[in-house]
Amino acid sequence: MTTSLRPMSVSGSARLDLLVSLALVGAAVALPFMVDSRYVLGQVVLALFYATIASQWNLLFGFSGIFSLAQMAIFAFGGYATAMICFYFGWNVWAALFPGALAAVVFSLIVGLACLRLTGVYVALLTLAIAQTMYLLIVTDTECFVMVGSICRQLTGGAVGFARFGDLGTREFLKGQWLVGNYAIVATLFAVTMIATYIIVKSPIGLAFKALKDNPGYAVARGVNRFQAQLLVFGISAFFTGLAGGFYAAHFQAIGPGILSMSQLMFIIAIAVVGGVGTFWGPLVGTIVLVAADELMREAGEFRTLGLGLIIALSIVLMPKGLVGRLGDLVRWLRRRSGAAGRSKLRESTATAGE
Amino acid sequence: MLDILTSIIIAGLTTGALYALATVGLSLVWGSMGMLNMAHAAMLTLGGYAAFSLSSALGLPAVVGFAGAVLAGAIAGGLLYVFIVRNLLNNDKATFESNVMIATVGIGIALENAILLTFGGQPLKQPISATGSLIIGPVNLPYQNMLIVIVVIALMALVALLLARTRIGRAIRATAQNREAAQLMGVAVNRVYFQVLVLSGALAGVCGVMVSSMTQLSPPLGNDPMLKAFIMCVVAGLGNLPGAVAAAFGLALLEAFVQYAAGARWGFPSLLFVVIAVLIWRPAGLFGRAQIRRM
Amino acid sequence: MTLSEKPPVLSLSNIVSGYRELTVLKGISFDVAAGAFVTVVGPNGHGKSTLLKTISGLVPLKQGSIGINGSPAPGQPHAIAALGVAHVPQGDMLFPEMSVLENLLMGAYLAPSRAEIDRRLDEVYTLLPKLADRRHQIASSLSGGERRMAGIGRGLMMGGEILLIDEPSLGLAPLVIEQVYGVIAELSRSGRTILLVEENPARVADLADHLHLLDDGEIVWSGPPAELLARDELLATYLGG
Repeated sequence: MTTSLRPMSVSGSARLDLLVSLALVGAAVALPFMVDSRYVLGQVVLALFYATIASQWNLLFGFSGIFSLAQMAIFAFGGYATAMICFYFGWNVWAALFPGALAAVVFSLIVGLACLRLTGVYVALLTLAIAQTMYLLIVTDTECFVMVGSICRQLTGGAVGFARFGDLGTREFLKGQWLVGNYAIVATLFAVTMIATYIIVKSPIGLAFKALKDNPGYAVARGVNRFQAQLLVFGISAFFTGLAGGFYAAHFQAIGPGILSMSQLMFIIAIAVVGGVGTFWGPLVGTIVLVAADELMREAGEFRTLGLGLIIALSIVLMPKGLVGRLGDLVRWLRRRSGAAGRSKLRESTATAGE
Repeated sequence: MLDILTSIIIAGLTTGALYALATVGLSLVWGSMGMLNMAHAAMLTLGGYAAFSLSSALGLPAVVGFAGAVLAGAIAGGLLYVFIVRNLLNNDKATFESNVMIATVGIGIALENAILLTFGGQPLKQPISATGSLIIGPVNLPYQNMLIVIVVIALMALVALLLARTRIGRAIRATAQNREAAQLMGVAVNRVYFQVLVLSGALAGVCGVMVSSMTQLSPPLGNDPMLKAFIMCVVAGLGNLPGAVAAAFGLALLEAFVQYAAGARWGFPSLLFVVIAVLIWRPAGLFGRAQIRRM
Repeated sequence: MTLSEKPPVLSLSNIVSGYRELTVLKGISFDVAAGAFVTVVGPNGHGKSTLLKTISGLVPLKQGSIGINGSPAPGQPHAIAALGVAHVPQGDMLFPEMSVLENLLMGAYLAPSRAEIDRRLDEVYTLLPKLADRRHQIASSLSGGERRMAGIGRGLMMGGEILLIDEPSLGLAPLVIEQVYGVIAELSRSGRTILLVEENPARVADLADHLHLLDDGEIVWSGPPAELLARDELLATYLGG
């Protein structure tokens, strides 16, 4: 019963995914024409960065079962690497983005080799410790590496970070409309990331993870090597996360240790959790909801972080599968209600048993 | 040279005692219910501020402030169970582990921020502390450090006694060792979880007073000891109480030496290096039970 | 003991249970009278352990009802244990890092008084003298047979009149199996009600009053043990000869 239903629902959801994507592309193209507030567009760009990072964390945790808390560290690594290449070697930002992302991949593979043979919470604690170490080493870096004018500059940029190392070139080409240009670039980055994520989830490796999750013993017996598969996904996700870090540094023309703070990591996790861990559209839904909530709470100013913390805890308790999961439950419930009327009792009972 | 060495050892032992107290609270909760309490740091901070409010703001004697810290931590632990943990227990093991971690991170951030909003971000002085020191020849023993070590040892003995000798303690250990069997014996596992979180909260409260008496009160007070305590729990193998205490003292001494020899900023990285080295060598920690903790 | 109309101490009516979406038991009904020795036999993986776990509350009931001493069973395992249902689980499930004595004391977790605990300890040590010798040994260091005895002893420490025993012969040498069943026979003679799960019907032929054959979550045959052992076609079909 369930096996005969599954292919149907997959093709159904694929069609739905395509429709949602087309609608989103339409909305993304229309947005700059509808919004002329620079502030709003700027927040949208920031939200797209959040959605990109959250989608990659979701790929790790939701789909591959890697509970990594080094997501912002990898993002920062990509950003720092890009900024440092530009700063120290005078490269163009566009040329530095790819090496920056590769540096993030190398970093992630080292982290992965140290962590991924372990299970669940050990991975979480170790990646958290690694991220925290990176933060501490950058912030406490006071040794002069080069002198810029009369100012001492540390190798890692210290507590200040890096600024004025170049930008995406949109200011030169588009003048006053540079933000629209950056918006287009970051939106494209997000789209490419989502497409890549989709391909990974639907690929044999994505199926292997599904098997590992549903029945670890069986999957291992069938020759799925958990460690190698996780390391691979860890590296792929680090590429897009690091690339996003590079674009982030280039967009803001600055990068500092602040993005490594616990509250930034929490915001990413909150996005994934509220949207729905392990659902494809969860990170996007979560970003929209949380960025909107964040804007509303800006009015409440100081209660922002408090509210965010409570939102995380409550959504885990009240809707473990997030908003997207809840929506799925609702759709299934409606479908069953409308479908059950015409069918025989037997069919209905097998359908509920298969849930 | 000798006085430098002794001061390093004294500093190491004192922070070791503090870490040990934090690890016991964390390890107890992990061992009995498979829960990593990321809100432990905020519960620590809460204890520190509770003692401050009672002693400094209300002018009550230090003992009342201390009891207030214990009570505040215990209540926070109890509420954490009632509102969060209880509702996540029907998840399967792996989902519970990650969900409870995320949820407690949220609670921790909310609690830390509530403290920030109530007391402000400026550092405050913890009134419950001892001044002066005992001088034996070249050795200078601050009373505060001695007090911390003595209180921690006393508390640890108390916890050990509770776990080893009492009916509640035996039920906690039974639940940790085999949850289903404990249920079959008539142990109400949910009540045990509640008790464990209350106990761990009370320990966090004391720990908060102690930590803040060494430094100062500030809302992120608990974060650094908690992260280090986690590292120590992992080095020992999560859920192993005596191992965690040993690791706490060992690593705190190491940290003190590294900080003296290479500078303060290398203290935490050296701990990270040790934990990675240990986990590569023994994936379930030094004293961990590999067959139980690994999948 | 001589009451003419004793109600069943345990009555299962149409119980359906399993793990999440998987249904293991598909409607089991039978009664166990006070003092009776009832055995459920069947191949492995067909729900024998699940049956005992459902009665003791470890596996939630999906449908049907369980009555204990004439009243409906509570939902939670610790409340069922409080009614005097002692489940000796498969593979013993001792507390591995506790001593034998501590394991036994955990059995008496719900005992009303210190004196009662001592009385039960005496009883268990008399029946299973080996446990008295090993009382300070850590459970994980016991031999297989000792572990089984400790499991049974811990169940007895619960002081219950209803014993649920899950495959007491599992993984033991033939000589030790004989000893274990000797103890179980002793318990039955003392008047306790026993519901025992076993893969091999021959082992309980002399002990059980009644036998149920469980296959794929359903009871396919019931009757006295001797009758089943005489039915070659049943043995061949369900128990592989």
